[in-house]
Amino acid sequence: AMIKVSLLKQEPTSRPITLEGVFAGGSAGYAEGKLMQSHPLSLCNTSEDDRQETFFISIVKLESPESKVPQCLPLLDKARLALQRGAQAVIFDITDDPGAAQELRDSGLLPRPVVLVKSSDAEQLMGLVNKNEEAKVFIDIMMETQKWPHYDVGI
Amino acid sequence: QHKQVTGVSSQGCQGGCQTCSVYNGCLTCKPKLFIHLERDGMRQFGVCLASCPNGFYGTRSPDRNDCIKCGSECDSCFNRNFCLRCRAGSYLHKGKCTESCPDGLVPSDTMKECV
Repeated sequence: AMIKVSLLKQEPTSRPITLEGVFAGGSAGYAEGKLMQSHPLSLCNTSEDDRQETFFISIVKLESPESKVPQCLPLLDKARLALQRGAQAVIFDITDDPGAAQELRDSGLLPRPVVLVKSSDAEQLMGLVNKNEEAKVFIDIMMETQKWPHYDVGI
Repeated sequence: QHKQVTGVSSQGCQGGCQTCSVYNGCLTCKPKLFIHLERDGMRQFGVCLASCPNGFYGTRSPDRNDCIKCGSECDSCFNRNFCLRCRAGSYLHKGKCTESCPDGLVPSDTMKECV
């Protein structure tokens, strides 16, 4: 997945940041919205997140299993719950929870994109959140650059 | 209104936290405390409180104590289905917030109740 991030309070001429992620299961697609953090515990059946008026994309920093955050729901259900609450897409920072990728791998049909990010890509996104730098995120399918653009048969 | 447990523990967490992280704030609370998810602009982070703030009520379960939001028209509640005080424009009747009062009762704007 290609993730473009443009800060809402920046010079019109400045270029968006381009980051990379991986779509979960069959959720590849386009989405855009304001970046909003969701605490992992906000995606439980008991909790209810405050409704956002604008189009938003949820980002969830998943914690390491050692931090003993109550799981409350499987990751796939958390993703679905976030989308049901109006998120245009969900981004999971899996840097500290490597098992998450496995859990979301065969997630079948999802109504909108769910993207996994980690390491420096995740760090840049979470850095914006931590500094409350309002940002708009554009998610799209990354076009593979064809190695043999002029030929349709390779040997 | 809510007693926030302040101070910072050795792990750099807010005083009431059992575990925390830079981005999510509190992840688990010390016994008896409620975890409340506060939103500040883009950020949403956990804090541990002795009691839940206005507009929320506390629920206790073996693995964690949560602050859960009252109903939409309710300012302060005992639980999801029993409001104690309504927001402006709604009137309290038998634990519910309604825009108009049943026959025989009249709305009191000062008390925000059907009387």
